Amino acid sequence: MALCAFAFPGNLSKAVGADPQKHTTLCSQWLRGTDLQCQFYCKNKQVRKRAAGVCASLSERGEYHSQRPPTPLLDTINYPIHMKNLSTKELKQLADELRSDVIFNVSKTGGHLGSSLGVIELTVALHYVFNAPRDRILWDVGHQSYPHKILTGRRDKMHTLRQTNGLSGFTKRSESDYDCFGAGHSSTTISAGLGMAVGRDLKGRKNNVVAVIGDGAMTAGQAYEAMNNAGYLDSDMIVILNDNKQVSLPTANLDGPIPPVGALSSALSRLQSNRPLRELREVAKGVTKQIGGPMHEIAAKVDEYARGMISGSGSTLFEELGLYYIGPVDGHSIDDLIAILKEVKSTQTTGPVLIHVVTEKGRGYPYAEKAADKYHGVAKFDPATGKQFKSSAPTQSYTTYFAEALIAEAEADKDVVAIHAAMGGGTGLNLFLRRFPTRCFDVGIAEQHAVTFAAGLACEGLKPFCAIYSSFIQRAYDQVVHDVDLQKLPVRFAMDRAGLVGADGPTHCGAFDVTFMACLPNMVVMAPSDEAELFHMVATAAAIDDRPSCFRYPRGNGVGVELPPGNKGIPLEVGKGRILIEGERVALLGYGSAVQSCLAAAALVEPRGLRLTVADARFCKPLDHALIRSLAKSHEILITVEEGSIGGFGSHVAQFMALDGLLDDKLKWRPLVLPDRYIDHGSPVDQMMQAGLTSSHIAATVFNVLGKAREALEIMSEV
Amino acid sequence: MCCISGVIIPITDPCFSFFPTRPDPHPNIISFPASVSFRVRPGVPHRPVKSILNDTVQFSSDPPSFYDLLGIPETGNLLEIKQAYKQLARKYHPDVSPPDQVEEYTKRFIQVQEAYETLSDPRRRALYDRDLAKGIHFAFSARRRIGLEFDEQMEDKNEWKSRWESQLSHLKKRSMYKDSGDNMSWGARMRRQRNESS
Repeated sequence: MALCAFAFPGNLSKAVGADPQKHTTLCSQWLRGTDLQCQFYCKNKQVRKRAAGVCASLSERGEYHSQRPPTPLLDTINYPIHMKNLSTKELKQLADELRSDVIFNVSKTGGHLGSSLGVIELTVALHYVFNAPRDRILWDVGHQSYPHKILTGRRDKMHTLRQTNGLSGFTKRSESDYDCFGAGHSSTTISAGLGMAVGRDLKGRKNNVVAVIGDGAMTAGQAYEAMNNAGYLDSDMIVILNDNKQVSLPTANLDGPIPPVGALSSALSRLQSNRPLRELREVAKGVTKQIGGPMHEIAAKVDEYARGMISGSGSTLFEELGLYYIGPVDGHSIDDLIAILKEVKSTQTTGPVLIHVVTEKGRGYPYAEKAADKYHGVAKFDPATGKQFKSSAPTQSYTTYFAEALIAEAEADKDVVAIHAAMGGGTGLNLFLRRFPTRCFDVGIAEQHAVTFAAGLACEGLKPFCAIYSSFIQRAYDQVVHDVDLQKLPVRFAMDRAGLVGADGPTHCGAFDVTFMACLPNMVVMAPSDEAELFHMVATAAAIDDRPSCFRYPRGNGVGVELPPGNKGIPLEVGKGRILIEGERVALLGYGSAVQSCLAAAALVEPRGLRLTVADARFCKPLDHALIRSLAKSHEILITVEEGSIGGFGSHVAQFMALDGLLDDKLKWRPLVLPDRYIDHGSPVDQMMQAGLTSSHIAATVFNVLGKAREALEIMSEV
Repeated sequence: MCCISGVIIPITDPCFSFFPTRPDPHPNIISFPASVSFRVRPGVPHRPVKSILNDTVQFSSDPPSFYDLLGIPETGNLLEIKQAYKQLARKYHPDVSPPDQVEEYTKRFIQVQEAYETLSDPRRRALYDRDLAKGIHFAFSARRRIGLEFDEQMEDKNEWKSRWESQLSHLKKRSMYKDSGDNMSWGARMRRQRNESS
């Protein structure tokens, strides 16, 4: 490791520029060939005198450039088939170049850096040993698939990563044949991999199936369901457990790194250090050897039991589920990985095998290694300094406002507790954790458990707030229906990332939550139109103690309204909306963030001589009947706008109006919802354009319904 | 595994291996005391080696401390550190350095960068000040890895290889009899079917 100590830029000693002779002898004596940087450094040392260090650029003089680093070997690889004739040394060089390339690309586009850096060697080894796309390689969640994309023919498009019409930030079947299964939510690869293995068996094919899953994703129940089934079916497949001890995101709270959540992680760590048992193993092996001859089968069984005894408590978990456990393996040693994968591939009947690979998130980029969150998700940054280019906004994000609102509620009421599923940073609950360490619960990637856990807390009289992204709560839907809503337990759901989410794309998009929450009989469903409303709605939710409630808010920053004093909101009257602008003829009834678009649309329409009424419904359930009646009776046209799918707010309004007889006269009702297709990743502005929910679209709709097609076209052409 | 001689040996402890890199092996530096055995019998917990470190460390020409690099007194506060760093970073960044001195400047830049990173973090600064007082200078990454846990980890890594090698051999052995007649799992039946038809 000392070699790395002076290989890193922090070397202060005068070793640099010193006697090169001495250094080469040092290098040759180091046995730790598994450390790629040291190896690479050694190669460099023979050429130059100074410490090259690890850098975004591979240039030997250790310079940090903002242009593309030289990657001679990687330039010759377009597809995995081009890797087949490389020697181990060349593969290591390829891994180094791939690392540089990933750092360079992510620095230009932003994205998930740490996880991709941790699996560079694994990706190289997998593509070297296996023959994608015939052999199926599945990446759980997919955010660590950047090196995989570079090696499978998409290197020239990496500059479009996570942008409109560009590469997806996750694996996507429609993007490439090498992406076998689309991912974005976690813990799905073992299930999908088992499906592919069984399908292969039924069709009589002979390819391999490899599913890569992280230790964080392993905390989800679906992974166990899959392993249980895999053990039972006994179909040949390989599961690679990528263990980097990072279970929750970010992998740190505000004050420093946190230990992984859950009992499984400590079991996995125990697996990694089992020294005294090795001797026992040797003894057992000796005994079985002596038995020999016709006793072979019995000896094999003895060995199996000895293995189970010796390998430690964690591996027997996988063994009990029916997976053959191999490991732990150094995930940054290409030699080890290739040796193991080749062996497993060449063995004919293996059944399901689990290879426990230990990696380090952010490995190879010192700033990522040092950072508490390991640079999990970054904006564009400068490779030389590791500093991210974060644009400063005048307001904070809705996430932060939510956390502050919840803290204010919790200070007033000691029964308020918060629950999240491994997303302390994403939901803002790290702030809550810092203030109330015993009242914030991180359950790991287990949304279903989080909801029922909250239900249990509510039974005891506490006030649980479940902060789960709109798209992730889809996983826990039955728990919401059966455990919370059916029993009318007062659990509060705070659904962040509602609506379109930008670069993460359809896998993280919260399009459906209005639909599936508002159809539940006992649920109170509301949405704030700005951050002050968010504060009030958190207070309202805290006050609703006899039934479940939920509120949704989008990704992004606030609009800049004044916040309530002390961050403490005032509970709203349930089922009451508000009118923001009084107008005539046409009324826009918005729900949630769409209200802002409605206000902008009203401003667009005003110069053309029409004053729109803009109303904020606030509640989808219970609807403000009086407001809707008054709007319906005093206007010719009512347009409902929401950033959700069909079956949500607009449908509820229509249902009410139909039953109330409001549609029997001359009222024209038009809904504006997200279109009936998935909106691809891109910038938020582009996505809204594609969805047809921008203020221009709303204004154009107004004119269209009024019969003024020309004005509608004018408005759209101004965009 | 650890022969103690004047040349560097592949040992797990970064502390020791750091020193031989010093360009001018100072006559005062004792070559590793032969009495120290830091590779102990298996089962005996590995002793931390920092205490031994202090006895052997004697330097007359110290490398510049982070404070010297930044040009601030040891009692400098965060503002001074920031200002010094900004100034020097602007001066030494490879993109703005004069072409003939790029190497030298980049090296300095990296050093200044590390100095700032360590000193601006109060926790790390405290650790660094402690080490400085003891008279030793570590690169931050080496410092982070020092400790009992790291030593144990290194030894364990060596064990890992032998462990998975035996696991692999067992897998191969097991595959011989895995699909024998009485294994009725779905996968075994499909495999038998596939082998019969091919």
